[in-house]
Amino acid sequence: MSQTAAPQPAPPPATAPPATPATPGTAPGTAPGTAPAGAAQPDTSYVDTPALLNRWQLIGMGVAIVFGIVSALVQFLGWQADGRAADDTEQLLRVQEVKTSLLRADALATNAFLKGGLEDPAQREEYDDAIDGVLTDIADAAEAQPADRRALAALNVEVADYATGVAQGRDNNRQNFPIGAEYLNTASTDLRASALPILDELIKANQERAEDAMAGQHPVWLFVLGVAALAALVWLNRELARHFRRRINKGIALAAVIVAVVTLVTVAGAWIRDSSNDGLRDGEFATAVHEADARTAGNDAKAIESLRLIKRGSGTSYEDAWREAAQAVGDSGTGAASEWAAYTEVHDAVVQLDDGGEWERARTMAIEESGTAFQPFDDATRAAIDENGAVATDELRSGRWLALLLSALTLLLGVAAALAVAGGIGERRREFS
Amino acid sequence: MSRVRVLAVALTAVAALVTGCGYDATPLPEPGAGSSTAPAPSASPPVDCDDATRSYPPSDDRGAALQRLTNRDRLVVGVSGDTYKMGFTDPTDATLKGFDIEFARAVAKALGVTLDLRVISAAQRIPMLESGEIDMVARNMTMNCARWDQVAFSAVYYNATQKVLVGTDDAATYAGPASLAGKRVCAPTATTSVANIKQIEPDVIPVEAANHTGCLIKFQNSEVDAITGDDTVLAGLAAQDPYTAVPQQEKLTDEPYGLAFNKEDVALVQFANSVLDQMRADGRWKAIYDEWLKPTLRVDATPPTPQYGRSR
Repeated sequence: MSQTAAPQPAPPPATAPPATPATPGTAPGTAPGTAPAGAAQPDTSYVDTPALLNRWQLIGMGVAIVFGIVSALVQFLGWQADGRAADDTEQLLRVQEVKTSLLRADALATNAFLKGGLEDPAQREEYDDAIDGVLTDIADAAEAQPADRRALAALNVEVADYATGVAQGRDNNRQNFPIGAEYLNTASTDLRASALPILDELIKANQERAEDAMAGQHPVWLFVLGVAALAALVWLNRELARHFRRRINKGIALAAVIVAVVTLVTVAGAWIRDSSNDGLRDGEFATAVHEADARTAGNDAKAIESLRLIKRGSGTSYEDAWREAAQAVGDSGTGAASEWAAYTEVHDAVVQLDDGGEWERARTMAIEESGTAFQPFDDATRAAIDENGAVATDELRSGRWLALLLSALTLLLGVAAALAVAGGIGERRREFS
Repeated sequence: MSRVRVLAVALTAVAALVTGCGYDATPLPEPGAGSSTAPAPSASPPVDCDDATRSYPPSDDRGAALQRLTNRDRLVVGVSGDTYKMGFTDPTDATLKGFDIEFARAVAKALGVTLDLRVISAAQRIPMLESGEIDMVARNMTMNCARWDQVAFSAVYYNATQKVLVGTDDAATYAGPASLAGKRVCAPTATTSVANIKQIEPDVIPVEAANHTGCLIKFQNSEVDAITGDDTVLAGLAAQDPYTAVPQQEKLTDEPYGLAFNKEDVALVQFANSVLDQMRADGRWKAIYDEWLKPTLRVDATPPTPQYGRSR
């Protein structure tokens, strides 16, 4: 660093000499008039103090402004991320509901075929409601998340094909043609082969999005930013102190206090939100997802049970598929384990009868008892999904206004800090002149 | 309030720039490798012999037959669940009925055991007999030399013939297999039908389905132009769709049906032959035919003459 101008500006003595540039080699406080010959010659160590002050003012204000903008932006991103997390969670639960409803519809359709004769009107109505719900959810999902539209469009085609296949099966069934059962079987097979993989991709993508968004709070970034801004202001203060014999510049000190307080508050706020999001991700969100997984797998198992009996003899292959679905229910850690166990007991009895050559009794049990045993599991998991999903999204959306307000305040306080720096350095400039 | 909104919009714009904005589109799953068009018929290669319809001599040794059952008190029979009039699930009461089913009932009744019907596909017939999952197959199964290497057959219980089903628009102009050149013809996987027609008319495009009803669905969806199979089966398909017909035509092949058993269950085969003999003699065969097949085939038929003399 080059030597600075003399005389030292503070306190300005009453007999202060004119503020002429110092000569090279002049020590601070050296009496004027002792300049060696040749002082009139310009020297490379000459320092333009006003320009230096201007530069420091620019740096100080820049630091404060950049701190304000970047800190506000980081907080704003966190505010946005919480909103996205809530939206993505809703979307995830929506596509999981689509999957469950489709398998529920399939379970109802296959059960109706298993029963034979005219379809039970109540069951038919439930099937229609499930398909209506699927189509409504697909439309809502496409509106809610543009990135899902292509996959949802493909899913829409598959759902239409499935519903058409079931309708064709039903029409042929009413004419007592066995091709009706084949239409249903083909629709069920294609549903699992074509529609469910699309839904699995949608579920995976939205779960990743929701979890990524929940990790959208960045207390460390805010902390590092605050510390960097403080370090810059401390450096600036030190430079000023070195050249103007003032240990602390009031303006810079005020700016540093603003930066420190803003950093403290925003880091604490972001850390609290981050911890809260972590809790949600591992708590209500995870529960809602797991219960939805359980309900989907449970309905898949129920449909497979009916298909097993409709196919009458392909028990081994269908039982393998049932066990796989049951394993998924168990792995989900559902809170409706006792309800599932109650249904499993009835299913095992159905299998025992079927394997023992008593298909008629197995069919009767599947129609009359299995559905009744399954309903409490379906109801319990649905309630758990609704409850936990609502808590997760409500929690993610709660207090977001405060985060936005804090973000805006940070921006304003950044400006205030910049003004404080300008004021502080301006004071030095006035003293200098 | 408006200032807050302006601020929010401004920050959103900056945030969008910073974050790169938006989500990646949800990927679609890779399309399945499955295809409905069969690359080649998958029926067994032809094996020459001159006694494909010759079975073991009948025996009424019920005790020896019972000892061959997988389950002590049950006869587990693999049948079709969707071959209209032969073996199908009646949608009105979800019970299995048909021509083949009646033979299964008769054998179980003669054995004095419960009948356990299992719906199986054509491709499952031989593997399930070999594994012992089922005791018998009554599922319009053609007796041929290749199959004799894998299973044992009863005497012939029905002489079917392989024919072709087309749309009603093509029925009048159908002039035999040559009319099918370049056309898509469907038959179930692992049956002899596709191999037979490919041998007669090499230019057909074979398409496979799990069963004949699956072929009819493909026909209704315009995925195939014709279906080939046994006349008994085709008559059942035509009865379910007024826009299909089995035109007047020369038979492509003879398809003698036999009840199939595990190759080692000769005592069971011999007992079944004695039951078939009784059914031919006491008029039950005729009654079953008249009930299930005559209304769709519209011809009278007599029971096939059994050929015995096979030895182990």
